[in-house]
Formats: sequence, C-alpha cells, structure tokens
Amino acid sequence: MNIDLLATAIALLTFFGISAIMALSLNLEYGLAGIPNFGKALFVSIGAYTAGITYTRLLPLLVGKAYLDPCGETLAQALDLRVRAIHDQPGIAFLNLGLTLLIAAIVGGLVGSLVSYTALRVKEEWYLGLVLLVGSEVIRTLVRGYTPLICGINGLSGVTQPFSALDNPTLSAACFMALVLAIAVLAYVYCERLVRSPFGRLLKAMRENEPVTLALGKHVPRLRAQVMLIGSALAAIGGVLFAVNLGFVSTNDYAVGFTLDIWVMVVLGGVGNHRGALLGALIVTVLNRATAILSIWANAQGSQFEFNYVRYILFALILLWVLRFRRQGLLPEHAETTVAHDELSVQP
Amino acid sequence: MTDLLRVHNVSKRFERLQAVDNVSLIVPAGQIVGLIGPNGSGKSTLFALLSGSQRAESGRIEFDGHDITHRSPDQIFQLGLVRSYQDPALFTRMTVLDNVLLPVKDQLGENPGLAPLHRIWRKQERDIASAAGALLDRVMLRRHYKTLASDLSGGQMKLLQLGRSLNGSARMLLLDEPTAGVAPKLARDIFHLVEALRREQGLTFLIIEHRLDVLFDFVDDVYVMHAGRVVAQGTAADIAANAQVREIYFGD
Repeated sequence: MNIDLLATAIALLTFFGISAIMALSLNLEYGLAGIPNFGKALFVSIGAYTAGITYTRLLPLLVGKAYLDPCGETLAQALDLRVRAIHDQPGIAFLNLGLTLLIAAIVGGLVGSLVSYTALRVKEEWYLGLVLLVGSEVIRTLVRGYTPLICGINGLSGVTQPFSALDNPTLSAACFMALVLAIAVLAYVYCERLVRSPFGRLLKAMRENEPVTLALGKHVPRLRAQVMLIGSALAAIGGVLFAVNLGFVSTNDYAVGFTLDIWVMVVLGGVGNHRGALLGALIVTVLNRATAILSIWANAQGSQFEFNYVRYILFALILLWVLRFRRQGLLPEHAETTVAHDELSVQP
Repeated sequence: MTDLLRVHNVSKRFERLQAVDNVSLIVPAGQIVGLIGPNGSGKSTLFALLSGSQRAESGRIEFDGHDITHRSPDQIFQLGLVRSYQDPALFTRMTVLDNVLLPVKDQLGENPGLAPLHRIWRKQERDIASAAGALLDRVMLRRHYKTLASDLSGGQMKLLQLGRSLNGSARMLLLDEPTAGVAPKLARDIFHLVEALRREQGLTFLIIEHRLDVLFDFVDDVYVMHAGRVVAQGTAADIAANAQVREIYFGD
C-alpha cells in the first residue's frame, strides 16, 4: 500500500487547525469560565448547517443563477451549479466562504449567549452541561428530519473549499490548510489576549466561585452570556471549516462523540491553558489519523480486526490516565492574568 | 450621626425553621457594631439577607437611604455594602493579586470587546495594581502577591478576604467571623486593622464574632441574636453583664 505522505500531512494539519479552533473555544468556556459545555457539537454544527444554507442559497444568488432545490429532482443540477460556481469564479467562492464564516459566527454566538441564560434556571452548573448535551442531540435529530436545511438524512455534498480553481488537488488542499491554520493562529492569539486581561480574571473568578463573584459586584449572567457568545461563535467558525474541508454536511458527524473528542483535547492538553488546548488538539488529531491509516493498512493485509475503533479505547485510557495522575493536564494553567503582576515586581 | 444601615422587622423562613424572626437593627455611619449569638441563631442568614444572596420575606432593609430589600448582590455591592464569608471563599486557583484586583469597579479590560486590546486598559491596570500593592501591604500579603490563594495559610486567607472586600470602594463591611481559626495575636491584629480602617477611611463595620474578649475591646455597640431574634442590644459592658446573654451564650 502506498501512502501519499504529503497529502496525509496536509490533511492532518488541516484537521489539526480545525480541532484547535474548537478546543480553544471549549477551553474558554470550560477551562476558564467553568461552563461545562457538553453541547459543543451543536455549536459546531450550526457552522456546518450555515455552510449548507449559504452554498445552496447564497452562492447561486452571488453568481446570478436561479435557486435550485438541492435535494429533490434537481439535486444533480444544483450540485453541478455549486461546484462550477466555486471552480469558475474564485472571487465569488471566497466571498461566499467569508460571508458563511461571518453569518455562522453571528448565529452561533447568538444561540450560545441565549442558551447561557438557561443556567439561571438550573441549580448546579453541571445541569447546564446536561441541558446542552441533550439539546445538542435534539437539534441534531430535528435537522435530520427537516429536509430543506441540508436534505435531512441524506446530507449535502458540494460544500467545497474555495481553492478548487487551482486545478491541482494537492496545491488547493495545501492552500486551504494554510487558510485554516491562519484562522487557528488568529483564534489562538485572540483567546490568549482575552485571557490575559481583566476579562480573563473575571472568567476565572466565575469558575472559582460564582456567588462570590456576584457578591463582588460582577453581573455573572451577563458574563456567562458573553463568554458563551465568544465560544460559540468560534465553534461555529470551526464548524464551517470542518464542513468545507469534508465538502459534505451531514448530521451524522455532529453526534455526542464529536463533543467528547473536543473534551479529550482540552482535558488532556491542560484545562485553562490555551497552549494545552492546542497540544491536546494535535495529539487527538494524530491519534485519529494514525488509527484510521492503521485500520486501512490492516484491512489491506486481510485482517478482520476493526482498528478504527481502537481510538475510542485509546481516548478512554488517556482520560483515565489524566484524571488519575495529571488532573491539570499536560500543560497546567498559567496562574497570573495581567501586567498587574509585573507592576508589583518592580516595586520594593 | 447618620444611620448607614437600617433593618426593620426582617424575617426569613427555611422550610420548618424560622431562621430570622422579625429582626431590626441600626448601624450608624463610622461605627463598629458586633453581632453575637450561639451557632444557628440566624446571624449568617441575616448577612445573606443584607447582601442580597437571600431574599427577606418581610421587612425592609435600607442602606444609605436606598431600599435594598429586593436588590441583587451585585447591585448591593455597587452601593458600597460588602460582605465577607465565614469560610474565606477565595478564588483559590488565582493569585493573591488577582483576588484583590477582581472587585475593582469600572475596569475597562472587563469589557470583552476591549479586553484583547491591551493598550487600552494597560495604564489603568498598572494604576489599580499599584493601589492594590499598598492594600496588600496593610494585610501583610505584599510579598505573596504571586502566590495562589489556595497555597496561603488559614490566617493569610482571612487577611486576603479582608483585603479583597476593601478593594471595591466599600463603605460598610459585613464581616462574618473574621478571626475564626486564627491565632490570638493575629486575631487582635485583624481588629486593630478594622479600627484603623474606620479611623482613616470612615468605614463602617458589622461584625459577627465568637471571640468576645477581642470583639468587646473594639465595638461601639453589640446586638445579640438567639433563635432568629434579637434578644439584647447595648454596649460591650452592658452585654457582658447581661444575665440572659450569659445564659444563652455561656450556659451559665
């Protein structure tokens, strides 16, 4: 069996960039603000569904073509229209992707901040985690049954990345990888600056003791809405990139397991440390890819062993190991928040 | 002398327990008032009502002329009435300095839109940090500014909580057992600090305390609670001589 090393590396790094964005977003919410968001897949899927809508409705509009039903009898024509538009008019393709990212961030952020207010109705923050876990599955089931959005159970193909005009699969994949990594770097810098600020101090305080934070004059419900807005907007951006990278939107991708993968990244890498989130994203991505490649190889050798599922065993073992021996994760949180600490160090 | 805090006939019931029963008390501005009584007499519940973390069922609470009976904890804090807790209730995985900086009002960098733009709030942050440095000096924690709150000793935790309470433009502090679990020497130091703060900054205090020998040396007035009610009020000398109080408190 031949493995195209370059293509594998490009795919790996693209997945890493997308995972990194999602891990950073969960790290803001859980690692720093202490909100146990077990509905990550929901906010990621909002990005994916947004891409589904813009590629089928906005894109024809931008190229001046009539809307075709992407699911029914005109499925093939609609798909052809999308793929051609992206291939033939790169400018439009980029505009479409940019608008998709923008709309997804806005919708994701709004939903996230609204959902945060359910926390006011539940006594313990972990109940909010359960509400989000269940809510995520409920929405997924609804979208599955509602055809107009992404053709229900069939999903939607032709949600392709905007570099297809290059007519060289490796080169266009490399360009998309560069775009994803650039967005991931921006997300990292943004999250890092956010945490090393008085806002980051507020988030940590809310995590450590919510009633006391409120009693010290901080409006905790608004704070929770703000961090959920930022986290969910980031998750939705990750969702757009995830869908566009696959070229396909399907509700199957955004089940509970998707949420748990992101949790493993954050818990393993280091709760509250953005570099830890990146490290966790890298390790999980590599393990995912490695087990996938091994399973293909094993099957090619005639093995009956389904290697693909080994990753679930690995993740479980990693989680157990982290929770038993290294609660703070591989890279522990950086304690000091702002420049205030330098100010005191220079004085006597 | 004006009354800073006025409590009129406030009551609070939990299930079958009448935790606070028709309590009235007055704390004049600039005074140190003690609140004593056996465990379970309703002192901490009264603090919870005053600070807004619990709602009174009846009665009225006024702070500086504002009716705060139904205000939320953050609004009550903004008016300058700040509560401390029996257990230090610190932000444990944060540094001593971050604990003290949190309550500072009107921080530009708390706005998530401005927070990533460090240049906008850096100057303000440096200013509040150096002010906090002076505050940490007073509570003898300056050299521990980078220490995690969870790594402090029990006495230092009490001091940090006091420092944190002071850093939000407080006008009146509700201290819940500020010397519980603290060695006698430090207990007295804490009360000397309280007195100094009253003298220098005109702060007003209502203090729950079981260490009566220390408390009575510093208070202007004492209220005694028992079974949710105020059963006695007077100067430290009056209360120390009150037979009913001695029976409730010491079982004499």
